[in-house]
Amino acid sequence: MINSDVFDRLDQAIDEQLADPERKLAATTQIAGMLEVAAELRHMPSEEFRSRLHNSLEEQAAALQTKAGRNHGERVVAMRRRDLEAAIMPSLFGSGNSAYPAQRANFVASFVMHSAAIALLLTSGLWMAGHRDAIVNRGVTLITGASEYVLPPATTRTGGGGGGGDKEHMAASNGSAPRFAREQITPPAIVIRNDHAKLTADATLVGPPNIVLPQTATLGDPMSNVLAPLLNGTGSGAGIGSGTGGGIGSGFGPGLGSGIGGGVGGGVYRVGGGVSAPRALYAPDPEYSDEARKAHYQGSVILWVVVDANGRPQQVKVARSLGMGLDEKAVAAVRTWKFQPAFKDGHPVAVQVNVEINFRLY
Amino acid sequence: MAAEPKPLRNVLLSPEVVTGEGVPRKVRLRALVKDTDERLLVEAAQRDPSRFAELYEQNFDRVYAYVSRRVRTREMAEDLTAEVFQQALAHLGDFEWRGVPFVGWLLRIASNALADGWKRVAREQELPADEELGSNSDLERWAMLSKLVDTLPADQKQVILRRFVDQRSIRDIALELGRSEGAVKQLQFRALQALRARVRRNHD
Repeated sequence: MINSDVFDRLDQAIDEQLADPERKLAATTQIAGMLEVAAELRHMPSEEFRSRLHNSLEEQAAALQTKAGRNHGERVVAMRRRDLEAAIMPSLFGSGNSAYPAQRANFVASFVMHSAAIALLLTSGLWMAGHRDAIVNRGVTLITGASEYVLPPATTRTGGGGGGGDKEHMAASNGSAPRFAREQITPPAIVIRNDHAKLTADATLVGPPNIVLPQTATLGDPMSNVLAPLLNGTGSGAGIGSGTGGGIGSGFGPGLGSGIGGGVGGGVYRVGGGVSAPRALYAPDPEYSDEARKAHYQGSVILWVVVDANGRPQQVKVARSLGMGLDEKAVAAVRTWKFQPAFKDGHPVAVQVNVEINFRLY
Repeated sequence: MAAEPKPLRNVLLSPEVVTGEGVPRKVRLRALVKDTDERLLVEAAQRDPSRFAELYEQNFDRVYAYVSRRVRTREMAEDLTAEVFQQALAHLGDFEWRGVPFVGWLLRIASNALADGWKRVAREQELPADEELGSNSDLERWAMLSKLVDTLPADQKQVILRRFVDQRSIRDIALELGRSEGAVKQLQFRALQALRARVRRNHD
């Protein structure tokens, strides 16, 4: 049985301890150990504080959870957006399979340029719709083949030329030229050197086949004043005349005359027979004349143009007229054109071409 | 006589000691299980902040004991303890498990909070140096004492809380409980006697 005095002494010591925690108490062995425990119990937290802090932390956790949920939702949306972007245009969004990183700036620049191009197309389309009457179709055709448009005989030299001969001491004798053909198999000759040819073909000159020259029984150089004896001329390379090649005349090539190449006459070349076609580098469209527009007049103008060795159009003439001021407009426009000149044997040469310009109203 | 175990602080704060020689196998296993459970709990709380309450309940007594021995008043102890747990919850995502128990991180936060608090009050109050405040084994003992109070009979526990936490007189407690002062003193005596015995038993 414990004496109640012990309870009182312990309580008194606790009172003193609570009043002055630093004070050293003299106590019996029986209560000294309990005072040590009592000293530590002073630092016990209150239940009320513990519970209050618990509740406070739960509220804080709930707030964090809400925020985290919101952030998580935003992250999910962002991830989905990234996935979607990557699936649509992986290169644009930098997640392509290439070993090199995609340059987004390039794609942005490309996007801007494409957008500008689309905007330009749309605005131009709208503009065209609003100016329908004012728009004309000025189709231009550069006719470079052997012309199907037969030009009237020129009073001056207008074609190619040719020549030939057997290196004789006298000029070729007079006679008529053979017919023109696209290709030459047998050059013309007054004096036949091989009377027993196994394969025979008619002598031809290279030129438009529809050019018809007066024909006589005897082949010869139509420009020669020599009537006899019958000679092929002083030239070389077969043919007739003083030139070189398979043609007739003083020129060079399989044509007729003093020029070079196929065709008739001299001066500028025509396209073909080793002469390349000129190519238009700068070809602004001609304007539509007011008169023709008001009359809704349409059609084609064919121009006869010599493109010189510098690529400049010379001697622009109307080969087929259309009228109502469109011929003048076409000529005025073509005079401003710039060509890459025709070439023969690697050298620029003047060449005659026909240009067809179509005037159309939408 | 049984071999005295290594100080409990080493088991808690230094994982390499858990596997060290001289630590009883039972203690090593218990520490390993505790570490694993605590790690899972921390990771769960990092994913779901509402799980932090469990960490709070596990570590409250230690943190409060650590703080309360380093401040003068109960109010300061409560404020700092609250600050420690609030900061811990706010920055729980930054915690990385490196084998050190979670309470180590909490005590570091508490230490920083105390340092900040000390800067504010150092000019006015003379506070005890850290090394004078006992070792981590003392911390464990203080934390354990709080749990031991919970094991007391209800009337004894009530007397202890009123007397030491609320620091009320025997007369006030007797009036509140409707008992005589002598009975309250006896309850106080019995409670302290029981606590002392249990502390000794746990310490041994």
